[in-house]
Amino acid sequence: MKPKVIVLRGTATNCDIETAGAFREEGAVPELVHINQLLSGEKKVLDYDIMAFPGGFSYGDDISAGKIYAVKMAKLRRDFERFIKDGRPVIGICNGFQILAKTGFLPENRGNRQVSTLYTNDCGHFVAKWVKLKVNKASPCLFTKGLPDEIELPIAHGEGKFIVEDVKEMAAITGRDLHALTYADNPNGSMLDIAGVCNAAGNCLGLMPHPERSFYPWQHPDRPAAARAAAAGRLFFRNAVGYAR
Amino acid sequence: MNPMENFNSLSAAELAELDRACGWSLNADELAEVQRQFRTMGRQPRRGELETIAQTWSEHCKHKTFSGPVAYRAGGKVKRYKNLFKETIVKATRTLNKKWCLSVFTDNAGIVEFGEGGRWGLAFKAETHNHPCAVEPYGGAETGVGGVIRDILGVGLGAKPVLNTDTFCFGRLDGKKKLPRNALGPERIMRGVVEGVRDYGNRIGIPTAAGGIYFDDGYLLNPLVYVGCAGLIPADKIEKKVRPGDLIVCIGGRTGRDGIHGATFSSANIDEETGSSAVQIGHAVNEKKALDVLMRARDLGLYNAVTDCGAGGFSSAIGELGSETGARVRLERALLKDTRIEPWEIWVSESQERMILSVPKGKLKRLAAILDAEDCEYCVLGEFPGDGRLLVTFGGEPVADLPMEFLHGGVPNFEKPASRRRVKVSSKKPAAPAYWAGALKALLAHPNVCSRRSVITQYDHEVQGGTVGKPLQGRYGDGPGDAAVIWPQAATLDPADMHGFAVGHGFCPAVGRIDPYQMALHSADEAVRNLLCAGADVRRTALLDNFCAASPRDPEVMGDLVQAAEGCLAAALAYGAPFISGKDSFYNQSRDAAGREYPIPLSLLISATAPVKDVRRSLTINFKAAGGALFLAGRSLKGMGGSVYNELKDSGNNAVAGLDLKAAAALYEAVRRAMEAGCVRAAHDVSQGGLAVTLSEMAFSGGLGAEVDLSAVAREKGLSAVELLFGESPARLVVEVEPGREDEFRRFLKGLPAAFIGRVAGNTGLAVSDGGERLFFEDIDVLKACWQKELI
Repeated sequence: MKPKVIVLRGTATNCDIETAGAFREEGAVPELVHINQLLSGEKKVLDYDIMAFPGGFSYGDDISAGKIYAVKMAKLRRDFERFIKDGRPVIGICNGFQILAKTGFLPENRGNRQVSTLYTNDCGHFVAKWVKLKVNKASPCLFTKGLPDEIELPIAHGEGKFIVEDVKEMAAITGRDLHALTYADNPNGSMLDIAGVCNAAGNCLGLMPHPERSFYPWQHPDRPAAARAAAAGRLFFRNAVGYAR
Repeated sequence: MNPMENFNSLSAAELAELDRACGWSLNADELAEVQRQFRTMGRQPRRGELETIAQTWSEHCKHKTFSGPVAYRAGGKVKRYKNLFKETIVKATRTLNKKWCLSVFTDNAGIVEFGEGGRWGLAFKAETHNHPCAVEPYGGAETGVGGVIRDILGVGLGAKPVLNTDTFCFGRLDGKKKLPRNALGPERIMRGVVEGVRDYGNRIGIPTAAGGIYFDDGYLLNPLVYVGCAGLIPADKIEKKVRPGDLIVCIGGRTGRDGIHGATFSSANIDEETGSSAVQIGHAVNEKKALDVLMRARDLGLYNAVTDCGAGGFSSAIGELGSETGARVRLERALLKDTRIEPWEIWVSESQERMILSVPKGKLKRLAAILDAEDCEYCVLGEFPGDGRLLVTFGGEPVADLPMEFLHGGVPNFEKPASRRRVKVSSKKPAAPAYWAGALKALLAHPNVCSRRSVITQYDHEVQGGTVGKPLQGRYGDGPGDAAVIWPQAATLDPADMHGFAVGHGFCPAVGRIDPYQMALHSADEAVRNLLCAGADVRRTALLDNFCAASPRDPEVMGDLVQAAEGCLAAALAYGAPFISGKDSFYNQSRDAAGREYPIPLSLLISATAPVKDVRRSLTINFKAAGGALFLAGRSLKGMGGSVYNELKDSGNNAVAGLDLKAAAALYEAVRRAMEAGCVRAAHDVSQGGLAVTLSEMAFSGGLGAEVDLSAVAREKGLSAVELLFGESPARLVVEVEPGREDEFRRFLKGLPAAFIGRVAGNTGLAVSDGGERLFFEDIDVLKACWQKELI
């Protein structure tokens, strides 16, 4: 069976084509769906097996990154909640993570309240570069299973500083190893160097780095040395597709 | 009495005064011609008509200077050109007549073949947004980026943008010159421009991955901002034709009072009275909506033609599309963002993010459905009737009623005098520095050489996942790449298709101050060499020319232009590299605090693109492994003219090395074949800062030193060590060849100047000697630390 992937778009979403391409390469059937198509009832969230919120600048990052998209999703909240609760894989990359944080789906909490945000980087502006990430082997995250201890992925964001509202919420993350990825050299000021967070079931991941930009070995800046190794980002998609099968 | 109501009886002086008051930038001959035309028609012109003519005839839209007649005087001889542009740049393209050029000079961008099987075309275009950036750097840069992206969206039936490029020129950040009251400091301008490019390019999801930044006090009052864009278009979507009866549909942004007179403003010198009201306001989200709609509607065949609203707004976009059919426009239907706007202002407003489509009546409904689905606003402004008449109304009131032929054919042109600039050239032996390693470290830290990391990392240079040749590359992802290599998987949607293309630049105004002809040669050469270093197939190089100059009323400025244009012709023919598109910008000139005229040096940016057959095999600059054999390809020539070293400390020699085009072309073909055979692992060109800088950059971006002996280097007789290490004579590159394949490489380069100069070391020391004498030995981490001085 080829899992069906819904890659969610909105105004000014980008990275959608690459993200869909990554799922296609792993044998899934991706479909780009505009939030307007969901709101009009033309498409239904629950008709899909995997959900991806790609990176980019939905609605231009106006107000704050991901906020407008999150507000648009509010009407369909039940469908999204159900999708996650079903254990179907959900990944939010960069702007997608910002959307998941602003809807309150991540970090997971009772009632899906927004308990965290991704704030303006400490340097005050957008940064695009490759970073080293530590993989939390104890994390229940299904996307990061089988990754080595340390991987390299590119980041590209202006608002990536992960902060949670209090110690209790942070303990809820670290106590259950929900921080699936942390930066080796914190590029944005995130609390505890956190780069990616998942839910307790491990099927919903939000991360600032872009795995779809490290899908092929030749996307790495160090070539051809890096060409010999597999690209780190590919496994995120392979794991999701394998799980949904 | 309103001067518009008795226009036909105004004297020349009154016409000039009216022109100034209205900001048209028409000259006396043009004003007289307009008056003559309306006298013939037997009526007074309307404001909207005069505005339309001013926009259509502006330097910005018509390029009167470059495509006009010129009389060039040099050494007692006079050479006359009827159309300088056609007799140089276009001539090269026509002479070369390459089959893979699909569209040149006619559309919004040039198009060359991409990949195999004739499925795709690559559209490429660069332009400048200098005047707006001088008065409002952030807005100017944003709208510059937005404008060139729309050129790509508006070429043929629309190409998908896959790469943005940008090249900036600013005054020295450490300069101490006093600025006029209204001028912005270079750091303020640079920050604004970088932020503008960042916020627009990143939001719209196009990687900004190639370009450069150049500092020279000649740009203190007139910064230059070159913006470029490349996109992929299906080969069967290149032809466009408006059909009589088609509807005129505007999609994207709304129309407001921003950017009134941008086209004519670009022909005025910037002075203390220049305000920022002529600069538009950018909104990337609207352009992204238009992009998403266009790509879908194009593939469904929902329109017959498209173009962008750039300079001149509706007046030039609709005027261009309807140049054969005429156009009937009802301005009251335009969506507005400002209700206080006059009808003629709607007609010429340069509000951003608007595209004009020519839509068959029967397809409007399907197009509207896509527009609605993407939340993209649109309005139907009228139709293309087929009677050759331009009729613009607002609620029944005529705004303009003109025959198209007057607009597009009527512009008078007159011969401009040009003369050769006299420059003192000294060819004496250049003075050597006291301490070679010290000079190298100072060169690496020079603003025209040092790392651009703090700027590059603000741009999303990897969105679309196809930036294989990165602006920052090497073992630590921080070395300076020569050319961007793009694998447009997000446009082809076929990850098995490994075709890509490289984009590189050449820019050397410092050479141009001494010899504009050689500047053109050096620039084209540098651009081609950058492509070669990335492993591109330079046999299929296509070029863009972007000239920026001071006032063409100065015969010496025109003289510089003539020589540079002749250089472009010679270089294009020698390299077999046609020009496919270009743009020019004049009047980059201001008065300084003391009231002195401050012209920019003639600035020619050559952008180049060539195919990369398999992006996985494209090359990077860094040393790859200890033992790698290093070769210097190319002959080192005398002359320190235009070098960074001379800017740092005057060597007393300002001669410019003459480029042997034929030898360079032969050398590149041999190197290309060696690369194709796979014996080259790294390549980097010798340019700003000279050979020592090239070796340092290759070394520290690979984390490996080298033991280098330059004794065998092919060189002009009497070449000094300063010229060898820090001279910037063209047509040279350093390559690392896989150990064991040195003889194979030598065979490819047989009979050509390519010398074995040493090997990559297993440690971090870079040692360079010549003729048995050690010139310097330095640790690469020390060199890197000097180079990594951040600009902002």
